[in-house]
Amino acid sequence: MEIVGGLATVLGSPVLLGWIALAALVGMVVGAIPGLTASAAIAMLLPLTFQMEPLAALAFLYVIGKSGRYGGSIAAILFNTPGTAASTATQIDGHPLARRGLAGKAMKTATVSSVIGDYTGDILLIAFVGGIAWVALRLGPPELFGIYVAAFVVIGSVIGDSPAKGLASAALGVLLATVGFDPITGTPRLTFGVYDLTGGLGLVPLMIGVFVLGEVLTQVVRPADPPRVAEGGGARDTLTWADYRPCLPHVARSSVIGAFIGMLPGLGSAIAAFVAYGEGKRRAANPEEWGHGALEGVAAPEAANNAVSGPSMAPLLTLGIPGSTIGAILVGVFLVHGIQIGPTLFLTNRDLVYALFAAGLVGIAMYGLMGYFGAAAVGRVIARVPARGLYPVVFLIGIVAAYAARGSLFDVWVAIGAGALGWAMRRWGLNPAAFVIAFVLTGGAEQALRQSLLLSDAGAAIFLQRPVALGFLLLGAAVLALRARGARRSLPDGRPT
Amino acid sequence: MGEDANRPVGLALVAAGVAGGLAALSIGGWTGGEWGPRTVPLLAAATLALAGVAIAASPAARPPRAAGEARVVLLLALAVLYVLGIDRIGYLLATGLAAPAAFALFGVRKPLRLVATAVAVPLALHLAFFRLLGVFPPLGSWFDLLDWVPL
Repeated sequence: MEIVGGLATVLGSPVLLGWIALAALVGMVVGAIPGLTASAAIAMLLPLTFQMEPLAALAFLYVIGKSGRYGGSIAAILFNTPGTAASTATQIDGHPLARRGLAGKAMKTATVSSVIGDYTGDILLIAFVGGIAWVALRLGPPELFGIYVAAFVVIGSVIGDSPAKGLASAALGVLLATVGFDPITGTPRLTFGVYDLTGGLGLVPLMIGVFVLGEVLTQVVRPADPPRVAEGGGARDTLTWADYRPCLPHVARSSVIGAFIGMLPGLGSAIAAFVAYGEGKRRAANPEEWGHGALEGVAAPEAANNAVSGPSMAPLLTLGIPGSTIGAILVGVFLVHGIQIGPTLFLTNRDLVYALFAAGLVGIAMYGLMGYFGAAAVGRVIARVPARGLYPVVFLIGIVAAYAARGSLFDVWVAIGAGALGWAMRRWGLNPAAFVIAFVLTGGAEQALRQSLLLSDAGAAIFLQRPVALGFLLLGAAVLALRARGARRSLPDGRPT
Repeated sequence: MGEDANRPVGLALVAAGVAGGLAALSIGGWTGGEWGPRTVPLLAAATLALAGVAIAASPAARPPRAAGEARVVLLLALAVLYVLGIDRIGYLLATGLAAPAAFALFGVRKPLRLVATAVAVPLALHLAFFRLLGVFPPLGSWFDLLDWVPL
């Protein structure tokens, strides 16, 4: 019943409610701008939150993530361009509806479905996260290292099309995370005599570089054309109970699919949306309408991609393993405020965690209301903002935000380098998300590895002697083998990428 | 075409892995035991190199997108000059110069608009970050407008 206390904390603080409302609006707008992701917005806004109370900072960024996932549907429906990767599946049926003058109906369906999916995911998170944390508290360093290795392999090989490119991205993240003093012996590593590198590469400038500057560099190559709004309106363009009732079974199924996928690190909302869309079409009474403007084809992916949000916090909060880029960014907020994430978080900051969950519940209601009544207006405003006016501002804010994190010009150099790397990774098919998540995971993984070896009389064999650790190592190996096999099959000559 | 797209990427990753491995081998403070500060960087470098080999040896699943690298290089050069400018002439003036250049790179051509960005952007960012949030602004080592303008 800690969630009741959390809700009382949130609802009793007008300032906190104001931050949550602002986050709901910012996330919806950013998500609806093609090419600008919620991750980029969160990375850019991260330094602004350093002056805030920990709960306000976390709630602000967490709700931007939720609202941003939903906001992508606005662009998908109105502009035929997904605002985020997670809304690509929504575009398939959403835009045909808009072309028929039913944009309002499609957007309201997306809003209601996103809200139901998000609430389903959050309620499952709140119900089960305490139990997961209880189990996590009983894991020792060898078991944690096994989980870390499985997470590296899953994140590296599952995100993106190519397991080899995903693993390369993750390995690059690990390598760069080891720059600085060794945490056990204090030996400088990969610093090349540069004093500024002895403290390691900062997480915030790195993320600003990869997600903000990398995206701006991508956009300068091909600045997006001003999107066209498919106008709806009229009596036919309202959502009625009769319209929405056939969507409900799809929304219920997709919410469960999204929540399950959300718990698995690395898979994310785009995969959840496509799995839910495919499953919905397979079971639909009207499969011939899917792809040509079926409301159910909007409801299913939208419920799934938002249901991911809550459960994706479970591995982050209980094990310190971020399952998504937004989770990786939230790690930075926890660290800045001196809060240790992982199993002990539920002992040391239990009230904060449940207040954060409560903020998520309130945030869902807020973006739901804003979206239901204001999504069309947001779409019209975004259509009037040309890319050539937006991205230079994002570029300049990114630079100053990298400086503002620690008041360090060296961090700005790190951000620029990371921006170039992020652009190059996108350009040549590597995976920036796997890179950043691996960067974040490395500290905990190395600590677990070294602690395990200090505990062990048998060296690395300790990982084979502990069944849980061995199980996770085998899981990682199995996932990698399956992905390599899948990639091999997907190519005409059978060679994996 | 597919073969060409993946091979240079793979080879670049192999080179990065080898360079990372050599750098990891030079890490000191290792007492000769099995595991030390070198272990994780070496494992990462080896994985990077092996993944690079796999990528170089495989065809691209799809051709790379068309690119206009010249604009990317120009924007990166602007970023570098901007930071050097901040260090020498302070944040306000450097932003006043960088803002119109960035807008021009994204296709804004009207001189009046560019002049407006040169004034409005540094002021807005200064007020947001250095006044409202209280971050200490980076001062120029040669000259700084903040010494003359009370903002």
